[in-house]
Amino acid sequence: MKRPHKNWLEWSVFAASAVIVSTVLGYLGWCALQDHDTPPDLRIFTGAAIAGANSHRVPVMVRNVGESTAESVVIEVLLMRGKEEVESAELDLPFVPRQSEREGWVTFRHDPRCCTLESRAVGYETP
Amino acid sequence: MARSPGPSIAESLREYGRGLAGGLIFSLPLLYTMEVWWEGFNARPVRLLFYVVATFVLLLGYNRYAGMRRDASWTEVAIDSVEELGLGVATSAIMLYAIGRIGPHTTLAETVGQIVIEAGIVAIGFSVGTAQLGSGDEEEDSGMAEDDDGEVHFGGQVVVTFCGAVLFAANVAPTEEILVIAIETGPLRLLLLAAISLALGALVLYFTDFARAKRYSPVETKRQAFRGTIITYAIALGASAVILWFFGRFDGQAAAVIVSETVVLGFPATLGASAGRLLLQS
Repeated sequence: MKRPHKNWLEWSVFAASAVIVSTVLGYLGWCALQDHDTPPDLRIFTGAAIAGANSHRVPVMVRNVGESTAESVVIEVLLMRGKEEVESAELDLPFVPRQSEREGWVTFRHDPRCCTLESRAVGYETP
Repeated sequence: MARSPGPSIAESLREYGRGLAGGLIFSLPLLYTMEVWWEGFNARPVRLLFYVVATFVLLLGYNRYAGMRRDASWTEVAIDSVEELGLGVATSAIMLYAIGRIGPHTTLAETVGQIVIEAGIVAIGFSVGTAQLGSGDEEEDSGMAEDDDGEVHFGGQVVVTFCGAVLFAANVAPTEEILVIAIETGPLRLLLLAAISLALGALVLYFTDFARAKRYSPVETKRQAFRGTIITYAIALGASAVILWFFGRFDGQAAAVIVSETVVLGFPATLGASAGRLLLQS
């Protein structure tokens, strides 16, 4: 038994699939060539505080510019008046994948406008 | 040269619909599993490339030896496989978007990684669904790896056995539970697990006439049954090892843990390699 020829619908599905598959393969191949085994490299950015009922909320954006995923990331944000630490807050992120961003919030009792914000990643695992 | 008109549009649409249902049936557990999403952004591009290629090879094998068009030429099988892979990518992209895993908040690398991981299993599901979920009145041959004279093709059976093992084992392989069981289970219990796997394989293949088992694993002597069981278990263990390696479950583990993980996953893989394989062809 010879298989019947495809109709236009099947040929268009095949054409679209071929484009999708080759694009994915091309992209992955290109990524594989660019891929250097660098550890996670976290950049932390804090935004403007928003006053709430009992606290001041500060948005925190973490960007991993390294080539490995950071897991169980602990971020510490400090309110500093000069060299004096006024208050500290912590944020845990389960994952910050390679070349990706994650967002969270920390809250302070003091108004962050009194001080400068300092942030760093305290630690993380590499899976 | 006059060409036959091919199937009608309605027929093709019905076939894609069946494929879609099959793709989702097999991939739903993985679409809803966190560890699979994580693997999507943790896996290195080289590993993802390997995954796509391995999926394609499995699709080729399945379509050739157990699919609906087992009499088709390799070119036609390859065309079908590309189609299923593309549909798998499209389906998993839509599903991952719908469940909020990808979107404007994820970067391109993350998005592609997650789609690719899910797409592999959706594509195999598509293939199985297209071949197995039909009512059977459109296609006469219901897909079985036989030669023209009705003989079961050994190489084809190996490929289908591997497909069955992968389809079943992939659903649990990425979960943390495999590692937990592997670490906490002593060697005697693991031996028991291996024995249960072997017994189950033998039972399904040779003693229960499960889904017309006799047709695909014909035996005359006990020795042949023994040999078939061992081969099935070996394929199941091989499939488990490949999947575990892919999901990064071997990274940084001691040899003893690697072996016990393989045995732990070998149990669902054996189910797939025996019962699953027969269902794939029934």
